[in-house]
This record gives sequence, structure tokens and C-alpha cells, in this order.
Amino acid sequence: MSRWHAFRGILRRNLVTMRRYMFNTLSSMATLYIVFLMLFFGARAVAGADFALSGTQDGLIVGYFIWSLAIFAYSELAWGLSNEAQQGTLEQLYLSPFGFRFVNACNVVSNLSITLLLNLLLLLAAMATVGRWLTIDLVSLLPVLVLTLVGVVGFGFAIGGLALVFKRIQAFFQVVQFVMVAFIAAPWSTIPWARYLPLAMGNHLARQIMSDGVRLWQLDRGDLVVLLVTSLAYLGLGLAAFGLAEGAARERGLLGQY
Amino acid sequence: MVAYIQPLPGAPALAVESLRKVFPGRRGVVAVEDASFAVDAGEIVGLLGPNGAGKTTIIKCALGLVRPTAGRATVFGHDVRRNAAGVLANAAAVLEGSRNVYWRLTPWENASFFASLNGLPVSDPATRRYLEAMLERFGLGPVKNSQVRELSTGFKQKTAVVSALARRTPLVFLDEPTLGLDVETSLELRSLLREMVAEEGRTVVLSSHDMDVVQDVCRRVVVVSGGRVIADQDVEGLLDLFRSRRYRLVLDGPVAAETREYLERLDSQVSVAASPAGTTVQIQLNSAAQLYELVDLVRRSGLLIETIVQSEPDLEQAFLELVRKERAPK
Repeated sequence: MSRWHAFRGILRRNLVTMRRYMFNTLSSMATLYIVFLMLFFGARAVAGADFALSGTQDGLIVGYFIWSLAIFAYSELAWGLSNEAQQGTLEQLYLSPFGFRFVNACNVVSNLSITLLLNLLLLLAAMATVGRWLTIDLVSLLPVLVLTLVGVVGFGFAIGGLALVFKRIQAFFQVVQFVMVAFIAAPWSTIPWARYLPLAMGNHLARQIMSDGVRLWQLDRGDLVVLLVTSLAYLGLGLAAFGLAEGAARERGLLGQY
Repeated sequence: MVAYIQPLPGAPALAVESLRKVFPGRRGVVAVEDASFAVDAGEIVGLLGPNGAGKTTIIKCALGLVRPTAGRATVFGHDVRRNAAGVLANAAAVLEGSRNVYWRLTPWENASFFASLNGLPVSDPATRRYLEAMLERFGLGPVKNSQVRELSTGFKQKTAVVSALARRTPLVFLDEPTLGLDVETSLELRSLLREMVAEEGRTVVLSSHDMDVVQDVCRRVVVVSGGRVIADQDVEGLLDLFRSRRYRLVLDGPVAAETREYLERLDSQVSVAASPAGTTVQIQLNSAAQLYELVDLVRRSGLLIETIVQSEPDLEQAFLELVRKERAPK
């Protein structure tokens, strides 16, 4: 008996589910792509000739890439928990001897791997459309993306925890997706504390890597530390909030209810 | 059975000790009140009770899905609050019937997924053979590669049962496993459960409000009502309790008011049904002496007893009697 078999089982289930919901997966990607095009051409029309030169174009591409990744990562957790409760399978996941946190962590890792691949394709499509090829240095980019998403996962755990207790909070889920835009766009050159918001530092560093071709070891150490500490802090806070909500759900017998 | 955290030697498969659960709220709903019982390894025990009796809450407390207010439940000696992994390595459950499986996956994919959740190597030939055999045994072989959403209610329910069994735990909780099934499928599922328990030596706690299912499958029954355990004995013993004291008399004419009053004093729930052919009295007596009193009374009232039959109670009658007594004002 091993955790590895459990992880493989969860990855296999996620791949099969994604294949069965292929239309949903493809339509989500297509929607993200179309929204990107609208944003891009809209922004270019407003900014005029300065759009490419001012760095806004690169910022938009990187920011949109980070946001779409964050949306997938967050949704898989928050919506995923809510869907499992709705289907009636959530309690079965809780019956794994490895613990629900392990099961959920496997779920997050396997879904993030799939999401990362899909979003890299989306990024390539976006770059091809606008004719601006950014640097995709995976050795530098992946650690930054993973750390950025760790913070988002914390967020997803907290919201997922709320879903365990309050059930129908889909409207709130959607609001949070737009709050993430604000996190990415936070002007932390003028508001210093904004760098500690989820996604803000990750977006800043990813932009340096992709737009300016900076390598991982050339990034500012202080910025990397901020990314590491804030991401772990958000993950810790998210897990703590999830733990509280889970305790309340067990106390009130809500795990199997929807 | 496969359990990576072994049962503690000599421990019962399930021990519920002074379990109490009050769901918080403005009034606080008491779901389970001081419930205690034990299930030995290899037993197949029915947890019987009306809707809302507390059966599911007891099971969920044992599995750690609901936190008890007081008392505890152990599975093979492991307490879920101290060693959840020990409990969950040894117990699986069907809790929501067919809702417990993924409808977009096939029976095979569901069974292998839930086996893997308990760390079983699905790629291992022995595990695959076991899962294949289980699917075949439950009649799911021909549809094992169809999505569950395309299957009938019976197949969906069987997929849920197989997915719980696929975890290969020595204890299995089956909460209302035949709910919503037609008679034929229900009978088939009961027969399969009996076979599976006999062959694999698993312990099964089967919760149901369907008396036929419990009487058919279980040797022992724990009756729960209002969150309390009101009876705990083998099915035959429970039926014996009621077999000796329930009578059906057919009299050749209508009973007088005084006779009726006397009958009601003997059993407040007595049933007296008049028809042109006579009067049928169904009565529960407390002792054999009361039967002689009853016969004397009928003779004095000038009526003839055409038939007198000692009723053969089924579990449903026994259960209703128990619940009625429990609910009667004290």
C-alpha cells in the first residue's frame, strides 16, 4: 500500500475526467483566448502607437498568462470541492487512510501539471496572434510560476473550506476571480505593501523573466524571498482556514451535504 | 483483506461506546444519545431504525466524518480521533448509494480509483484480477467500460457497492444499500452480499429501514430509535420475543363494549375489526396467563372462537413494537 498508488489513481482519474469533459476544457481555453484577444486589441486601440513600446503589451500578455493559470488553479480547488460535495463523492475522498489533505494535495498537483501544460499552449497562441515572442525559459520560469501558484492554492483552500460549510457560494467564487486581476495589476511601485498581495510578486518576476529575458539567478534576491514567504504564508493561512472550516463541517455533519 | 494498518489483536470490528451527538444550532438536535454496541469480526449486523433514527450519524461518527459530542467509536481497536488512518485502512462505506461514485467514469474506473485511494496498486495483476472478479460477480462485467451515468439505477448502486469493496477493508459499512432498487435487484444484491461475507470473511454493518433486507442478510440486529439503541440481539431472538405473545382471534359475532374495554386494557394497541363474517381481534399479550383470561372473557360474553392463531411476527412487526414502546409516554 502506498501513497504513490493513490497519487497515480488521482492523476488517472483527473486525466480521464478531463477527456470526458473535453468540450468543457476546450471551451474554457477558447474563452480565455477570445477574452485575451479582446483585451489586447482593446488596449492597443486605446494606447495607440505607444502600446508596444511602453511595455504594456508584454505586461498584458504575462499578466493574462499568470491570471489564467491562477484561475485554473483556484477553480480546481474551490469549484472542485464544491462539485465533489454536490456529487456525493466528497465523503468517499475523506475515507482514504492517507487523509483528505493528501488526497487534495495530489489532486492539486496533478491538476496544476495539466493546467500548466494547457496554459503554456494558450500563451503560445497568444504570442503567435500578437506577433510578440516572449522568452520562455522554463528553468527560470517554472520555479516562479510554481511558487506563485502555491499562494493561489492557499487561497483556493480557504474558499474551498467556505464551500464545505456554506455550500452555495458560487457567486463569491466568481468575484474572487476578478479580485485576482486587482492583485496582478496592483501598482506596488507606488503602493509598497501591494507587493505582498497574492500573485503580485509572481507576476512581477515572471514579467522580468519573460519580457526582459532575466534568468532566475539574476532576479533580485529580496523579491524572491518576498515571493517565497508570501506564497508559503498564503498557503499556510489557506490551509488553516480550511482546517477550521473542515472542523466546523465535521461538527455540523456537513461534509456529505449540499 | 488488505489493511496496511493492521487491526489491533482481539479488538472488535466496531465498538460504539456511550456515543452521543448533538448537532449544534439554536435548539441543538440530538441525533445519537448514549448509544453502545459492538460488532465482532466476521459478523454481519443490521443497524435498523426509522428515518432520522441516528443510524447514519453513528456510522459517520465511527468513520470520523462527523465529530461526536461525547463517547467514542473504534474500528478494530483504532479510535478515529487518535488514529484516523488506522480506522480508514480498515473500514470502507457506501454512504450515499450511487451518489458515492463518479458518474462520468466507468464501473472499472470507479473501482480502480477507490482501490487506489487506499493505496492498492491497480496496475498489479493480482489487484486487477480481484477487481475484475468483483465486477463480474456483481454482474457489472458487460458494462464495466460504460460510463455510470448511462447505467440503470441497479447498476449504479452495484458500482457504489463494488467501489467500497474494492478498497479491500475488513469492515464495510453499507448505508441503505438497496434504497431505490426494484425487488429483483434488491434480492440479487442481498444474495451477493451474503456470499461475499461468507467467502471473504468481511465484517458488514448494514444500515437500513427496510426490515426485509436486514432479516434476509443479517444474523444480528441493533435497533436504533430516537438516537438510542433500543434492542441489540440476533434476529431470531428478537422475533422470538414477539412470536409467543401475539395472537389473532376470529370470533363469530360483534364484541360488546365491555369486552372491547377489557381488550384495550390488555393491549392499548389492540385491533378489533368487525365484518359480516365475524370479528377479527389482533392482540399483543404480556403473558400466557392473559390468554386464558381472554378465552374466559370471550366464553362469558357468549361468543364462539372460530380460530385462534399465534401470529408469526416478521422483523417489521418486532421493529414496530419496539419503536412503539420506545415512543410511548413513560
